[in-house]
Amino acid sequence: MTGQKTDVIQGTLDLLILKTLSLEPMHGFGIARRVEQVSRGVFKVNPGSLLTALQRLERAGWLDSQWRNTENSRRAKFYILTRTGKKQLEIQEADWNRRASAVARLLRQEA
Amino acid sequence: MSFWRQVTYGLRGLLRRNERDREIDDEVEHYFEETTAAYRERGLTDEDACRAARQECGNLHTAKEEVRTYGWENTIRTLGADLRFAGRQLRRNPVFAVTAVLMLGIGIGANTAIFTFVNSVLLRPLPYPESNRLTIVLSELGNSSRAPASMFELYQMRQRSRTFDQIAGIWVTNRALPGKGDPEQGKAGEVTSNFLQLFCTRPMLGRFFGPEDDLENAPSTVVLSHQLWVRKFGSDPRIVGKSVPLDRGSSIVIGVLPQDFRLIFPEDSSVPPNVDYFQSVPIGPWEPNGPGFLHLVGRLRGAGTLAAAQAELASIAAEINDIGARTKVINYHLYAFSLQDDDVREVRRTLYLLFGAVAFILMIGCANVANLLMIRARQRLHETTIRAALGASTLRLIRQILTETFATVLLGGAVALLLGWAALKAIVAVEPSSFANLGHVSLDLRVLAFTFMIAVLISAIVALAPISTVRHLKLAEDLKRSGRSTTRKQSRSTTVLVTTEVALAFVLLIGTGLLVRTFANILRVDPGFHPESVFTLRASVPNYDVLREVQRALTALPGVQSVSTVSHLPLDDQGNWYDYYWKDGVSVDQQNTEMADMRSVLPGYFDTIGAQLMQGRDFTESDDAAHQHVALIDEILARRLWPGESALGKRINVSDSPKGPYEFERDWLVVVGVIRHIQCHTLTATVRPQIYVPYSLAPRPSMFMVIRTRGTVPHLASSVRKQIAALNRNVPITQLEPLSSVIARARAESRFLSVLATLLSIIALQLALGGIYGVLSYSVVLRTAEIGIRMAVGAQRVEIMRLVFAEGFLPVTLGIAAGTIWSAVSMPLLDHLLFEIRPSSPVIYLLSIVAIFVLSGIAMLVPALQAIRIDPLRALACE
Repeated sequence: MTGQKTDVIQGTLDLLILKTLSLEPMHGFGIARRVEQVSRGVFKVNPGSLLTALQRLERAGWLDSQWRNTENSRRAKFYILTRTGKKQLEIQEADWNRRASAVARLLRQEA
Repeated sequence: MSFWRQVTYGLRGLLRRNERDREIDDEVEHYFEETTAAYRERGLTDEDACRAARQECGNLHTAKEEVRTYGWENTIRTLGADLRFAGRQLRRNPVFAVTAVLMLGIGIGANTAIFTFVNSVLLRPLPYPESNRLTIVLSELGNSSRAPASMFELYQMRQRSRTFDQIAGIWVTNRALPGKGDPEQGKAGEVTSNFLQLFCTRPMLGRFFGPEDDLENAPSTVVLSHQLWVRKFGSDPRIVGKSVPLDRGSSIVIGVLPQDFRLIFPEDSSVPPNVDYFQSVPIGPWEPNGPGFLHLVGRLRGAGTLAAAQAELASIAAEINDIGARTKVINYHLYAFSLQDDDVREVRRTLYLLFGAVAFILMIGCANVANLLMIRARQRLHETTIRAALGASTLRLIRQILTETFATVLLGGAVALLLGWAALKAIVAVEPSSFANLGHVSLDLRVLAFTFMIAVLISAIVALAPISTVRHLKLAEDLKRSGRSTTRKQSRSTTVLVTTEVALAFVLLIGTGLLVRTFANILRVDPGFHPESVFTLRASVPNYDVLREVQRALTALPGVQSVSTVSHLPLDDQGNWYDYYWKDGVSVDQQNTEMADMRSVLPGYFDTIGAQLMQGRDFTESDDAAHQHVALIDEILARRLWPGESALGKRINVSDSPKGPYEFERDWLVVVGVIRHIQCHTLTATVRPQIYVPYSLAPRPSMFMVIRTRGTVPHLASSVRKQIAALNRNVPITQLEPLSSVIARARAESRFLSVLATLLSIIALQLALGGIYGVLSYSVVLRTAEIGIRMAVGAQRVEIMRLVFAEGFLPVTLGIAAGTIWSAVSMPLLDHLLFEIRPSSPVIYLLSIVAIFVLSGIAMLVPALQAIRIDPLRALACE
């Protein structure tokens, strides 16, 4: 493992995955690439923890999976957000916003 | 939904492991390919792209492994792997595995069997409705405690009691059985009409007795046992309402009892568990001085406690005394005991002792297994060290050891369950008399749980030993030493273990010695008669003439020396006849205080069973109602009533001549002879003195014929049966049985206990000796170098052997010392089981000490020989 990337903050990986998948079904690499791009390279995920997290979310019933062919016709496992997953995303999003704005307020005060 | 997914996905992971792994591989590889492709798009060469991707994604295998280990099913899989590893380890060292499994198996198995007994005798409630409210009511009067009650007493108690909602009575007699087939003898229960309801919710067929059966002109009714109904009435479903012939007429069958109905009464009550049929007797005031023959059972009212019942019975006893029953007996009390407690009163202590003994065995077994595991952990120290060096975490190592220990213990538990089951079958097959009341012993779930609990507990304890070695691993040092040395601390802990084993085995040996000695003493007891070549059978006879006819007919058989008869066989304690007696000139208030066993006999009885006439004469044909009424008494009664003088010609008052079916009128009898006391109840205790009266004065419906033969007579049983049938007098008889088997039954319990104790001791000794042997031979292996050096510098073989023996005898001596103290404290607990030997018998102690020394010396011999066979050159070369 190389240590050059900023690890995803503990507990936010689930939120990032759910959010990413709310746009469209994607495979593991697609999710990683999207997270990286959108965060402008701040977050880099390693495949081990990402795929493990996907399994966990799938077993929790928030995601479904399907083997499909990609554009260059290679079979890959695609993940789809379920209805419960959507609800979960809303809950987690609201939660995150609350925390983030609280932290932001605190930091403004300090400054 | 998500829980469901957890389960199904997990199961899929377990069952279709390869498929899942392949998917994961595929996914990870796809990720890697995409990463590589992305780098290639940025213009890197194939090779560089691949390298960059690898740098970004990390090790492919690590990633795969990380994804694979997700999920609960992996915990199970690791456990499985640990178990497989444990299995391999055990297979690699089968001697260890078999020894450990057997040691635990024997220990746990013995515990299971004994626990099953404790469970069915002490823990399980009696199989009766509201059995916790059932109590035994006994009276104490004069010098006899636990005496049966009279009908008068029962009537008075029922009139006065508030704490009991029912008080019922039973007495059991020997009678002819109704039904088809050969005439047969059986047990008849005479009960009050409220009796059966206390022991059984409802009959299988028909009804129980009720108040209507107590009415003056009520027809005679009978309730059949299930067994009798099947055997003698062909399970006739329409039996209720039919009339069957009974003793002196006929009775209407009103009900049949359920199959599992059995009476569980105290040992000394003469109420057997299986009674063939029941008839009811009305409870009336009767006369205050009537005979005591009823065994009472009361049911406490819902809120009533035993203490309240006891207090009430005390005041009732005072009132009964006042209104003149028992003619103002000095020491008259009534007592209530819980039926459950009363029943197990004697058995309880014996069971606890057995429990203690098997617990000892389990402890010895545990100590041995702990020792084995410790030795093995030390042997494997090198291997463990290497595994630790290769990166196995301490937690993983401990988990592995725990799994291995647990697997061993579980296997031991499985063996134990088998052994326990077999042991239980064996114990029940032997049927010791004190446990006769529990036909329903079976291994049950609680026992299983108990065994498993023990197994888990042991594995926790036993695992402590090897874990301590893992926790103290010092890698560098241990790798250098290559695990071939012992420390003082370790050898001290093995000394403690062996000392404990020897001490435990010693205590068991002392207890066994005492019990075996007791049995030997019981074997030597003179029962007061000579049972060799004497046979007996029970017969129902209507009157004196028929009895004499039977006697004459049997005497005429070839090979028969003499034939006589007695109402109650010695040492056959089911059904008894005893009553008050007093000698001439005793004041009224002293009259109903002393009881004697009463026996009705024909002339020639004492000769036939080989009893000894000490003074006077036997009965003759002319000792009947028309002549002077006479009796024979035993030496104990003679000494008690007329110490220092001859009893012959003196008068005693007893109940002899019959008035009504079961009552006897009081009359004076003249003593014409004194016989040696015959053991009537047990071989070890003299319960009551004896009074013999001629059958013509005291006819009884059922008699035991006793037949003495000259040597062995072929086909005696069938010729006896034919001879009696030829009389054509309708005399029902039981199987012919040698009188010696009655004695064997009386010895059964002591034999059972001494055999069991011997078995337990042998197991314990073997385990302890095995422990000594194991520890010493391992120690010899460890000290090979030392012994080699000693030999090289000129030590003699004797000195080397002395070295080994000294190491072995230290814990043995310590163990014997500890065991002696332990025994001195605990052996008095055995006192109630012992006969003619004191718990502190020095002979037993001495023998046990010698036995342990000699046996452990033998166990040490092999390691000692091993030591002197060490080749000094090779031993040193190894180092």
